[in-house]
Amino acid sequence: MTKYESLINDLAPRKFGKRGTIWTFILLVVIILGLISYIDQVNKGQVVTNMRDYALWGIYISNFVFFVATSFVGSATVAVLRLTNNSWRTPVVRIAEIISLACIIMAGFTIMIDMGRPDRLLYLFIYARLQSPITWDVIIIPTSIILSFLLLYFPLLPDLAILKKHNLKTKPTYSKWYGKLSLNWTGSKVQKAIQSKSIKIIAIMVIPVGILLQTIDAWLFSTTYRIGWDSTNMGAYFTSGAFVAGLGALITVVYVIRKVRSLEHYITDYHFDKLAQYLLLTCLVYVYFNINEYLIPIFNAPVEEDIHLNALVYGEYAGLFWFSQIFGLILPILILLFKKGRKPMPLFIVGIMVVLGSWWKRYIIVTPTLLHPFLPIEGVPESWHHYFPSMHEWLITGATLALTLLIITLFVRFLPVIPIQRIAEEKGLLKTDKKAES
Amino acid sequence: MKNRSTSVSAFLAWTIGFIFCLGLSNIYAQNDQKHRVRLRADYVKIIEGDAYLNIKATAKIGDETLPVPNIEIAVYNEVEGEEIILGNTKTNIKGESRFVLNKSMDLKSDSTNTYNLGISFNGNDSFRKASKSTSFKNAHIAAKLITKDSINYITATLRETATDSLLAGKSLILQVQRLFKPLKIGEELNFTDENGSIQVPVEEGIPGIDGNLVIEVVLEDSDDYGTVKTIINAPIGTPIVEEITFDQRKMWSPRNKTPIFLLVVINLIIAVVYGLFIYLIFNLFRISKN
Repeated sequence: MTKYESLINDLAPRKFGKRGTIWTFILLVVIILGLISYIDQVNKGQVVTNMRDYALWGIYISNFVFFVATSFVGSATVAVLRLTNNSWRTPVVRIAEIISLACIIMAGFTIMIDMGRPDRLLYLFIYARLQSPITWDVIIIPTSIILSFLLLYFPLLPDLAILKKHNLKTKPTYSKWYGKLSLNWTGSKVQKAIQSKSIKIIAIMVIPVGILLQTIDAWLFSTTYRIGWDSTNMGAYFTSGAFVAGLGALITVVYVIRKVRSLEHYITDYHFDKLAQYLLLTCLVYVYFNINEYLIPIFNAPVEEDIHLNALVYGEYAGLFWFSQIFGLILPILILLFKKGRKPMPLFIVGIMVVLGSWWKRYIIVTPTLLHPFLPIEGVPESWHHYFPSMHEWLITGATLALTLLIITLFVRFLPVIPIQRIAEEKGLLKTDKKAES
Repeated sequence: MKNRSTSVSAFLAWTIGFIFCLGLSNIYAQNDQKHRVRLRADYVKIIEGDAYLNIKATAKIGDETLPVPNIEIAVYNEVEGEEIILGNTKTNIKGESRFVLNKSMDLKSDSTNTYNLGISFNGNDSFRKASKSTSFKNAHIAAKLITKDSINYITATLRETATDSLLAGKSLILQVQRLFKPLKIGEELNFTDENGSIQVPVEEGIPGIDGNLVIEVVLEDSDDYGTVKTIINAPIGTPIVEEITFDQRKMWSPRNKTPIFLLVVINLIIAVVYGLFIYLIFNLFRISKN
């Protein structure tokens, strides 16, 4: 077996083992439970949630914001690292592209789940009011889905052609599908030139579209005159947070895939070290924005903002606030400062910490503000003064997270998670036209 | 000695028991006790407008003074020991009621030209009966706007109606009607001179709808005359210029009034991005054909 064939054998998708099957089964169970809850929610209305007149955005919207933030990983790794010529990105970009696509699809789903009347979804387009940031969101999310798909698909073409050939004798049906999806890729100069040019365009597009997506998401909050949201810091704050959430998710998924698929030769400690440094940088930037967001209002906050900040720092939300700040940001920074902390296993733990911190961070951005209006909450039941998600909300949210993981799992099952063609070229296993590739 | 100490103990026990029972009976008696209603009646007269009684009913329940809503109050005119019923009124949720004194009621005064009005509540299951009386003489404020050396003044003269005598040394308030609270103008207290008059300059620049100011001259809560108020419409304010953005292209307008710059910018971005998408999808087609 040649080195090239060995490479294909290593990187070609494989059938799930026992662990993979159990994993997929668990995900399906969670998704089915969520689906049943959602059907019940549609039948009975949003009264099954704990969202009421004041906490009208709850866990669904915070989950949506988390998905939007995590989808930024495509822009953060693929585009930024490509445009800055960081060649170490090669083994992790495909995984980043998959996460990006899965998350932005689920962001779209989650926003629909939050709608009281999902049957009126079309009205968002038909009666769109361009002045509303919600309309901008409605425009940018499908745009990001298309772009994330193209970002994944164009670099896949050569690999799909390789898989077509690889599966020709052993799995003819798969081979046929890979052939169709590879769009008759032969690796001709013309094809490579078109592909290379297209990828370059996408890489350039992904950055402004990604920043627009994060910024619009931030503007959904900051254009409202609400305590905790009415901040000019929000756009940059959300974008820097998206870097952290996206990289955290990427590191976690990369570690698991590396372990499950035994890809230690391809995704090495060096790659983890680089990812860790990148995460460290983004965490530091995010800390800076957090200081701007929370520290400055302590000096000049009006009474209402003071009540809000007190609830976050000392009050009802202090546990979640300090969890997201310390567990999700400060501790990861401290761990990542040390070389040992940038090894795969500690980094995996840091990745999980960052993802959990990022998820709860979105929750405390969304909910406490709604429960701190300018006019006091009066004449409503006591339970409306507080919000904690109902069982329906937890099950549906759990299902969206499980569906994201299922999408990633299915991509991992049927697509090469590390670009075969590019690795072969980098290792000099193929005669390539360098000019076309660059 | 032992007997004596037993007697003392028995006496103490009995005393404590008695006091305790007394306390208990007091508590139960409290529960059965009706609350006392406090009534208040203030006479208000608007010149060339209504005259009415502002009635308020409160009760001290526990440590709090609370309004007494929905109680029926009778209003009567006391003349030479006789009570002539004028009508009934009911307190609202705030424990308040306004009883308008119509001209048809033909109020009668006593020999000193004083009108004596009374209000009474007959009591119910929760509250004891209560009554309150108020007395007032009829007074009149004649006010007008004058301009001297380009300065606007409000002059007002206060007189007692029955005797047509000018009232000196009375404090009048000048204020401009506003939505939440009147805007006071001039001095805090403007005492009438020996001619029963005041003259107060009105400063420039007070905003009013179409430049009109509704100025009130008020004799407030007088012991002899109640509250007497006259209203003057004075076209001396600064017109309020309302910036009406209805039907304009603004960020808060309806969808068919989207600002042009927003339409251009967003559609331009959409056109560029989706134009590139079409180009990229076309490139996929080109790849498949090569």
